[in-house]
Amino acid sequence: MIIESFNHNMAAHCESGSLTALLKHKGLEITEPMIFGLGSGLYFGYLSRTPNLSFPMFILRTKPGKLRKKLAKRTDIKFATQRFKDQDKAEQEIDRLIAKGIPVACQVDFYYMDYIPQWERVHANIHFITIVGKEGDEYIVSDSYFPKLARIHKDNLRKARFAGGYLAPKGFMYYIESVPESIDYKNLVPLALKNTVTNMIGVQPPFIGVRGIRTFAKKLQGWPKLTRDIDHLSHEVMKINVFLEDQGTGGGGFRYLYATFLRQASEILDNKELEEMSKKMMEVGDGWRNISYFAAKIGKNRELGSEKLQELGDLINNMADVEEGFYKELKVVSNNI
Amino acid sequence: MKEKDAYIDYEPQQLIMYVEKEDGSYGPIQTGSYISKNYLDDFWEKMIKLRNSLLEKLKKNEITPIYFYKLIHDFNDVELSRRTGIPVYKVKRHQKLKSFKSVKLSEMQKYAYAFDIPVSNLLQAIVVEDNENKAESNMMEQPIIVKQTRTENPFLVITKIELNKK
Repeated sequence: MIIESFNHNMAAHCESGSLTALLKHKGLEITEPMIFGLGSGLYFGYLSRTPNLSFPMFILRTKPGKLRKKLAKRTDIKFATQRFKDQDKAEQEIDRLIAKGIPVACQVDFYYMDYIPQWERVHANIHFITIVGKEGDEYIVSDSYFPKLARIHKDNLRKARFAGGYLAPKGFMYYIESVPESIDYKNLVPLALKNTVTNMIGVQPPFIGVRGIRTFAKKLQGWPKLTRDIDHLSHEVMKINVFLEDQGTGGGGFRYLYATFLRQASEILDNKELEEMSKKMMEVGDGWRNISYFAAKIGKNRELGSEKLQELGDLINNMADVEEGFYKELKVVSNNI
Repeated sequence: MKEKDAYIDYEPQQLIMYVEKEDGSYGPIQTGSYISKNYLDDFWEKMIKLRNSLLEKLKKNEITPIYFYKLIHDFNDVELSRRTGIPVYKVKRHQKLKSFKSVKLSEMQKYAYAFDIPVSNLLQAIVVEDNENKAESNMMEQPIIVKQTRTENPFLVITKIELNKK
């Protein structure tokens, strides 16, 4: 069977995309940027000491699951969540909910989503899909990164839900129990903005927020020592582009998505200052996009000597300065709402 | 980003990007991946080169199959340990040539599961000469297709070699 009333749409990001789709299915009209913004999803972190990572990486949004948790805390949306030790029970629970016409979001290892082109699929236990039906041994999947409904064999879904390792899903799934009739944007928007400001320029460890961006620019210069050869270095540098543009960010490392949230918030609250901030955030996104193009180009051409890496580092440092100014201004604007 | 600058014509990998539309509003558009459109060949070249160089080392008995697949899947020892449930010290030991032969069959099964391969592939490399320099994902270009089907027996896999009829 398939839940016919569920509308599949692509989205910028898997977590905010699946949340948006489930909330819309439940009757709450809300956009993906609004979910991302109200959940204070924007972030930066440079991870070089995480034991499970084979190479340093940077993140541009909060930890997987935080968006949902913050939304639950800040609004009256009620989520039902479950983790499982028993794989059979995990499968039976999805079957039971699907039979009742309830779409279910699952956390999975992206690698096993075999409808996605092979070059995109990496081991990452932070992907969210929505199960919207089952036919025979196959589940019908709504994946924000795929243009249409896809199918996945039950064995593959099981592997994806119970892959071990960093941020292991442990069969995690959730669905919406109830939604409020409306959302109190007037109170929530300033709260969400202040949280993002704290994440980016508040008291944070040196690898988080704007300080994290500067750490990234600095540590990047040491990448040649961490790689096997020039091809490996090229691969890692080109992944900067992938992290900023392709891995579910909506472009410019989530900054375009956040600019759209600010624009929508400005319209709901009729606030000109927020509209100005949305324009500035769009420009911040352009700055990150330039960095992603530059990284792809020098990686492809193997122009990875210290001068080029320094040039890339300077571009990143410049973004740290721009973002720092932006969040200082946003702090003032959020206090005035 | 302006809408007109955001469109990338690349159907195999579509994504959503948020842009400034022509009327000044902000919203999503569906477009193609910039890096895949422009640099996918380079990615495959690097991956094939890595796989072939590791295979050569494997053939010369310089590395173990566990090390081979660990690099292919971009795991480190801690991640591999957590994915297999085998302690880190053992994972490290199993990658040493002299210790590989002491890996138990039950441990092989755990490694194979983490690497998403049949257990038998830890002891064999299936190489089709004509396919060697073709990207694995591009089945259309490969003259010969190798299909491995799991059976109810966890240690037995059926390997079929077929001509690609395209």
